[in-house]
Amino acid sequence: MLFFSFFKTLINHTVTVELKNDIRIYGTLRSVDQYLNIKLDNIDIVNLDQYPHLSSVKNMFIRGSVVRYVVLPQAEVDTTLLEDATRREAANQANKA
Amino acid sequence: MSFFGFDTTLPKDRPSRVSRGIFENPDPFAEVARARAEGLHDGDNDAIDFEDTYDGLGDQLDDDQDAFNQDTFGGGDAVGKDFDFFGKTAQISDVINEEQVRYNLQHTKPSISLATGGAPDASSSSTATTTQKQKKTGYERYKDPGFIPEIQAKSSVWGTTTQKVKPVAEAAVLPASPPAAPPVAPSAAPSAAPSAAPSAAPSAAPSTVPSTVPPAAPSAAPSAAPSTAPSAAPARKMKMLSLEEVEAQIRAQSQRPVHTEPVVSPPLPFSEATRPAQPPQQVPSVPESHNPLPQELLYLEQHAQFGRGIPPPQVLQRPPRAPPEIYHPPPVAPSPAPVQVLQNPNRTPQLPPHQRYPGPSAQRQPQQPQIRSHGVPSVSSSQPLVNLTEGQRAIYMAEEAKRAKRNHKIFLLSKGNGLMTPQDKNFITRIQLQQLVAATGNITDPDPEAVLSEDFYYQVYSQIRGAPRQHPRQPLGHFAQTYLFQTGRSVGSHGSRRQFQSADNHMQRMQQQVQRAVEAAKLKPKNKQLIIEGSLGKISFSNAKTPKPMLNIKRPESSDGIKSTKRIANTELSPSDRKSILTNIESVYGTLMKMEDMERTMPSAPEEHDLEALQRHLEWRQRMQSFNQKLWYELKVLEPIVPGSTIPHPFIALLSYPKGKKAIPRIFRQIDQEQRVTILTIIVVHLDALDVVRRGQLQSGENQPPVAVREEIELFSQTVMPSLLGYVNEAPFNIIIGLLGLVLAQTHVQSVARTKVGLGILTMLLSRAEIVKDAEQADERDWLQWCEKFDILFDSLEPILGNIFPSSINSGDDIYAWQFLAAVGIGANPEQQQRLVIAVKDRVMETVAQSKTLPADMASQRLGNVNLFMRAIGLDVDLLY
Repeated sequence: MLFFSFFKTLINHTVTVELKNDIRIYGTLRSVDQYLNIKLDNIDIVNLDQYPHLSSVKNMFIRGSVVRYVVLPQAEVDTTLLEDATRREAANQANKA
Repeated sequence: MSFFGFDTTLPKDRPSRVSRGIFENPDPFAEVARARAEGLHDGDNDAIDFEDTYDGLGDQLDDDQDAFNQDTFGGGDAVGKDFDFFGKTAQISDVINEEQVRYNLQHTKPSISLATGGAPDASSSSTATTTQKQKKTGYERYKDPGFIPEIQAKSSVWGTTTQKVKPVAEAAVLPASPPAAPPVAPSAAPSAAPSAAPSAAPSAAPSTVPSTVPPAAPSAAPSAAPSTAPSAAPARKMKMLSLEEVEAQIRAQSQRPVHTEPVVSPPLPFSEATRPAQPPQQVPSVPESHNPLPQELLYLEQHAQFGRGIPPPQVLQRPPRAPPEIYHPPPVAPSPAPVQVLQNPNRTPQLPPHQRYPGPSAQRQPQQPQIRSHGVPSVSSSQPLVNLTEGQRAIYMAEEAKRAKRNHKIFLLSKGNGLMTPQDKNFITRIQLQQLVAATGNITDPDPEAVLSEDFYYQVYSQIRGAPRQHPRQPLGHFAQTYLFQTGRSVGSHGSRRQFQSADNHMQRMQQQVQRAVEAAKLKPKNKQLIIEGSLGKISFSNAKTPKPMLNIKRPESSDGIKSTKRIANTELSPSDRKSILTNIESVYGTLMKMEDMERTMPSAPEEHDLEALQRHLEWRQRMQSFNQKLWYELKVLEPIVPGSTIPHPFIALLSYPKGKKAIPRIFRQIDQEQRVTILTIIVVHLDALDVVRRGQLQSGENQPPVAVREEIELFSQTVMPSLLGYVNEAPFNIIIGLLGLVLAQTHVQSVARTKVGLGILTMLLSRAEIVKDAEQADERDWLQWCEKFDILFDSLEPILGNIFPSSINSGDDIYAWQFLAAVGIGANPEQQQRLVIAVKDRVMETVAQSKTLPADMASQRLGNVNLFMRAIGLDVDLLY
């Protein structure tokens, strides 16, 4: 749940999502779910010249499994907290296992 | 008329179907009509009265009629009662199928292939006949290339008898079935059977050989019925086996492993009576089947294409009213359609002929109006229609159309009726609810800790930075309740009283369901996997909380033990290797986080008279204390200092990692003053062993340390220094003196002073001393001691004072050096100040000169830095202009 929890904090911030088929989408994160499916709004295709057919798409839903990277807005990530959250997650996992 | 041929009567001339042959169309409305007949009996004009629709077949049955048993079973007591004709046939079903396909391939003319209905060819017919002493194959005539079969369905072959197999049971079901013919194919199957049956009856009934004759097509019956029928002769010449021979053959066949094909068996769970509307796949084929034949054609072609490996399409497999035995053969599953095709004719003779053909068709005619009025618009309406006037006919047709339309609608709606039992529905609901519960966390879980542990980052981040949503838990925890509540209200407000109540009940039930599901989910530890015994794989379950793990690595039992011992060995061997240091840091963090958690749960300040609260507070403090001890131990501050050792002190090693540095501010919050001074002491003692000092030394020719080191220095200045400063600013004077003494005694001051961090710490100590002096808190003895130490420091640093700056004048990042000089300058006596000025004069002049070339703001900044020092010794840069 760490990633879910993390991405929830990025809602309404702009991210760049790179898909496994190399499309890179810049847009505002509208929502994310447990499967890390992503809803983007006001999108821009970064490499639009390769995917002109997407030029008129304004928002999209991305299935989590097709995402390769999400480029994060650095200012919106609290690394210390993220480290701690990671530790907690690890501890939880260790407890469960 | 050929014995398998088409029915030549026009659809409208056909009497209502009494039999339900194998090719008869499915009856999608059977359930609807039946339900209507039962449930909506009153108030609905279309309701079916049992009396109206009951055709009285049951009454005509002679239950104790066994006159023809001998003909059927061979007669006499010598015959055993272990007839398993169906089973035997099923066992060789694949052979039959094979033969059928082969036959179809050999006889490309589709019409010929139809004959397989009777018996595929010589060999299979022989096997088929064994059970029933069948003498006729039915193919004889096809040997003649010129033969054109007369087109008439040999309906009796396809199960004319079915209704009589269980006459009584059928009778109960029957009232519903006739009216419920699909309106799309009004003229379909029914035609064949009735026309065939009545006419066949007279000939068959008196015949002494009904067992041998698959109740033949009416016209063929008289000639074919006698076993000496000429047409049957060729086949019989080829295969004249005695009963014994045939039985022997069967035994031989049954002994070799018989592969019974996997069968798409009809859904057994549904009894005849409760069977829902017919499977849709039969429906599309209906319209074209004005005659049973096309359907059969279709099937046979498909079958030929698919070959016998593939279960044939179900077209033929579910004759709506086929004898139940076919559906429920205990030992052997029914084989694909062809077997049934073979079965039906073979089985029919088991019944006394006159039971099969209970009455002349005329008897049934009067019933047709009622039948027709229920959803079979034009099936058998021909006769009344003829008598109607034009106007009546138009009205009638309109009515019929309306009815058909409505029926079609009902049919569409009722397609899925009864597919799921209430239990099924319950099951699905439970799954959904559990998913809901899992996705939202335990909605009834009052424990915020659980939420926090699952969603730590989001929760804390929201608290720190303000949540993107106003109510972070709202979409999570209260989702289900909110949802349920809203649904209930909206339905209730719109609906009438009755609707409201039902909605209310529904809501209550849903809520109860949710509660039960939640409780069940709580009680039941979730099984992550299902391993079905004997299977190779395993099925992983996933829910929203724990998506299906991509990797499922099972840790062998043994490796765990090895690992732990290894770890112990590691810590014992080298306290300084990277891994163990990182482990130490992590354990520190672990304890820190626990302590921080504890802080949140700190009980409110206890009132004096509230003993219980006092107790709680005490317990909390104790636990906090134990954590503190743990943390202190993990920091390894108190590890013995080994002078001259090449291995850094564990605590210093901890500080050499960024996350170790970052931990310091948090550690300082959790420890008391004594522990803080200990940490400060350890740092000061190992000042030149600190990575930021050690690696911060400029090598010859270097303008500044490498990037990585600079980052470390920066981090140290931002994390560790403020913590230390925070303590030093409150530290008693004697501790400052002691620390300065340690710096002088334990470290190489000149090298320490060349680094930013080293200078920073020295500045820290000097400025604190100055503040103490200004506040006149220091007593005389301490002050003398301090001055002594200061003199030593000054003397040792004087030679390198010009070198404490970052080597390049251009770097501009030299404020810390000026701060240090200022701190020294304040504390210095006039004589020392003079020496100080002489030592750094060059640098001052350079900086001033350089600042003149810089833009105004940068220049003023640089000059300001210099002025820090200049003012400390009572001068000002302005004097230099």
